[in-house]
Amino acid sequence: MTTPAIETFDLRKDFGSTRALRGLNLQVNEGEVVGCLGPNGAGKTTLIRLLLGLLIPTAGRAEIFGMDSRRQTVQAHRRLAYVPGEASLWPTLSGAETLHLLGRVHGHVDEDYRVTLIDRFGLDVTKRVRALSKGNRQKLILVAALMTRADVLILDEPTSGLDPLMEQAFRLCVHEAKERGQSVLLSSHILSEVEALCDRIGILRSGELVEMGTMTQMRHLSALTVEATFEGNVPDVTRIAGVSMVEVQGSRVRCQVRGSIEPLLQVFASTGVIELLSREPSLEELFLSHYGSPTAEVANADRGQ
Amino acid sequence: MLTEGSNLTLRREARIDRSSRTVIALLTARKSIRVGAGWGVVFGLYVATQALAYATSYKTPAARQILVDEFAHNTGISALVGPANQIGTVPGYTAWKCLAVLAIIGAVWGILTSTKMTRGEEDAGRWELLLVGQVTRRGAAQQALLGLCAGGFALFVSTALITAAVGRSSKVGIGTGGAIYFALSVASGAIMFLAVGSLCSQLSTSRRQAASFASAILGVSYALRMIADSGSNLAWLRWVTPLGWIEELQPLTSPRPIAFVPIVGLVIVMAVATVNLAGRRDLGAGILADRSTISSIRQLPSNPLGLALYLSRSALIAWAVSIAAYGLLLGSIAKSGGKIITSSPSLRSVFARLGVSGAEAYLSVALLIMSVALTFVAVSQVAVARKEESRGQLDNLLVQPFSRSSWLGGRIALGVVAIVMGGLLAGIATWTGAVSDHAHVNLLSMLGAGLNVAVPALVVFGFGVFALTIAPRYVNVVTYGLLVWFFLVEIVGGGVRINHWILDLSAFHQMAAAPATPIDWTTNAIMAAIAMLTAGLGVKLFTLRDLKGE
Ligand SMILES: Nc1ncnc2c1ncn2[C@@H]1O[C@H](COP(=O)(O)OP(=O)(O)OP(=O)(O)O)[C@@H](O)[C@H]1O
Ligand SMILES: [Mg+2]
Repeated sequence: MTTPAIETFDLRKDFGSTRALRGLNLQVNEGEVVGCLGPNGAGKTTLIRLLLGLLIPTAGRAEIFGMDSRRQTVQAHRRLAYVPGEASLWPTLSGAETLHLLGRVHGHVDEDYRVTLIDRFGLDVTKRVRALSKGNRQKLILVAALMTRADVLILDEPTSGLDPLMEQAFRLCVHEAKERGQSVLLSSHILSEVEALCDRIGILRSGELVEMGTMTQMRHLSALTVEATFEGNVPDVTRIAGVSMVEVQGSRVRCQVRGSIEPLLQVFASTGVIELLSREPSLEELFLSHYGSPTAEVANADRGQ
Repeated sequence: MLTEGSNLTLRREARIDRSSRTVIALLTARKSIRVGAGWGVVFGLYVATQALAYATSYKTPAARQILVDEFAHNTGISALVGPANQIGTVPGYTAWKCLAVLAIIGAVWGILTSTKMTRGEEDAGRWELLLVGQVTRRGAAQQALLGLCAGGFALFVSTALITAAVGRSSKVGIGTGGAIYFALSVASGAIMFLAVGSLCSQLSTSRRQAASFASAILGVSYALRMIADSGSNLAWLRWVTPLGWIEELQPLTSPRPIAFVPIVGLVIVMAVATVNLAGRRDLGAGILADRSTISSIRQLPSNPLGLALYLSRSALIAWAVSIAAYGLLLGSIAKSGGKIITSSPSLRSVFARLGVSGAEAYLSVALLIMSVALTFVAVSQVAVARKEESRGQLDNLLVQPFSRSSWLGGRIALGVVAIVMGGLLAGIATWTGAVSDHAHVNLLSMLGAGLNVAVPALVVFGFGVFALTIAPRYVNVVTYGLLVWFFLVEIVGGGVRINHWILDLSAFHQMAAAPATPIDWTTNAIMAAIAMLTAGLGVKLFTLRDLKGE
């Protein structure tokens, strides 16, 4: 087996008493696109900055193609490119100058591809960075990273601030990278983006990887959404084993079922159901169930006021 | 019930409304009062030590007369720190020893604080959050000015309190009124340059540019005051420079409050202009804006060190120009300065024994000032490196195949070269000035003296780099702390017999007064080695920590 593009071994990071990452084991294989999802403060950026050697792990280690991210930083960085969600560049340099500088420091640039990228993103490289809008600044960092054709792309919310058209252009770039056998680690809050691009998806929560797998695997593991409409009153389904997130609206009920659906169907059958709908959860529902109940949090926040 | 509830909300909204109109003033005031009061304490303690040192060291009128004979008509010294009026009395001596020095330090503080609190905050994007509220641009500028004013006032109050306290001592004998007038004179430097810095912040496109503008103004006003005080018939020039006005206040000797008129006038003009310009320009832009597009790739250096050099070029050039200008100025009055030093019999015999000319003796004092300037270069080089990290620009480089040690190593090389070149430049410029005055000064010995004054700056730089790696958020505290300590210990140490080890620890004290006394190259080598070892240790430690933002 070849060495994975990215591998972490019990990677832990504490900031004082904050435990940002708690023993993470993650693998991104060569040619694979892995998505990383998680609520704000879950530890995605921490993970990525550890991979890049910008942060020093409290325990454990991270490797890029088998090279330790702390001890062999320079060698590892020859093979990777990074896009932060927001970069602070040198405000007085123009876009072209920034690309020139970063290209020189990286050492390898695919010149033709750079031209293609500038064209594709419609970037005006004559403008000083100071004069660029947020989205255009983001395009500049994207071009700077993609033009190196590095073996691993580490992307932390790379499309923040991009318009939908540019989002499309970005997706095209990731597809191209995948075709060329580049590996990608993508952290994002845009679920459709992750769903469209990633082979595997990991969900991070409070510094732990709570779920990891392909979309299909994750769907199987998770609950089924069931919606039913009744003739008369809605039966009480909350006590049935495996049923959760029950919502009742008039004569309609919506709930999620984990494990066997039989007990629920028996209750429905005895009550006179007129319409029954069941489907696999959307990515959004899947993640909301992992991110914790947002309604409960909003309620808490309200009470806090 | 309902009405009560909505009343409550209304009241709360009203409160937010009012507080949003003062939030910038409060934020600015809070920060600047803290720092201003701190500097006021340093100022007060400096005044106290000078006054007490004089009172205890020169007890008899005879002893004081010797001092008067040596300094009262010395144009060289007068050009450096102002004329020595009535230095036969404790208040007179205290005013002479403290006023010019503290006014300049206060002015530098004023520039750094005002540009940081206005332009710096704006550059960091923090003002945007406040400006979307109830505040207009003009209003924000007014508030910031008020806040800064509070900082200047805090500096005045703590200086005044300590001066008045020490003045009560029968040995010192400075009245409360005199102490207040004196503290106000000292604080005038800070207050005027708080206003100058605010105006420059409106004119320029970045904080750094604003600080350079304001520093240039301070430089020019020092130079003009120097010319006015160098015994020529250009004494009227004192009335065209802010530092001259402060001198004309003549605190503790023969007060002339009329000189407050131009001081207050300047502050008002600067404040009004600041508010008006703030209302006219875009947030984030300057009145002197530059082009926003560049059609071709300029011949920029394409490696990180070259870029660092390129980006700090204007600051480094400004330093070089000021060092050269002061060198020339100081040098060109070397002969007259030296003549007067050697006209004092006691000093003449000392210098004769050492085998140096009076001009050289004078230049050694002049070069001490260069030493402080070079230390400021060191402080700013460390601060710039830290800023590259805290802003996140360093991230862009370190995610490339570019190691942390290369980055810091390059930064160290740049700093060391800047400091050493600055030292040599100081030597050459002073020599050139002296030669133009037909003084007999040797170029080689002046180059040596220039290197000699660069050594304390190297020490501050070395420790600054070390602080950068182990306590990145306290870099400025460490470097400015060292600067103040070295500087104060050196100056205070001249008058009082303080503990031996404190003196020995001060880098300025270790520095021999070249060219008047032979340079102690061994000590210099040891100090430079300590500086480089500390910096080197810093490079090692830098690989062990997280990158840290603000
Ligand atoms: N420099 C730091 N000092 C202290 N705590 C930090 C630091 N950086 C991150 N943290 C903490 O570590 C945790 C993880 O933060 P991280 O930035 O990795 O989250 P994230 O998943 O990227 O969130 P987001 O989706 O908002 O970008 C948070 O609790 C955060 O407060
Ligand atoms: Mg993040």
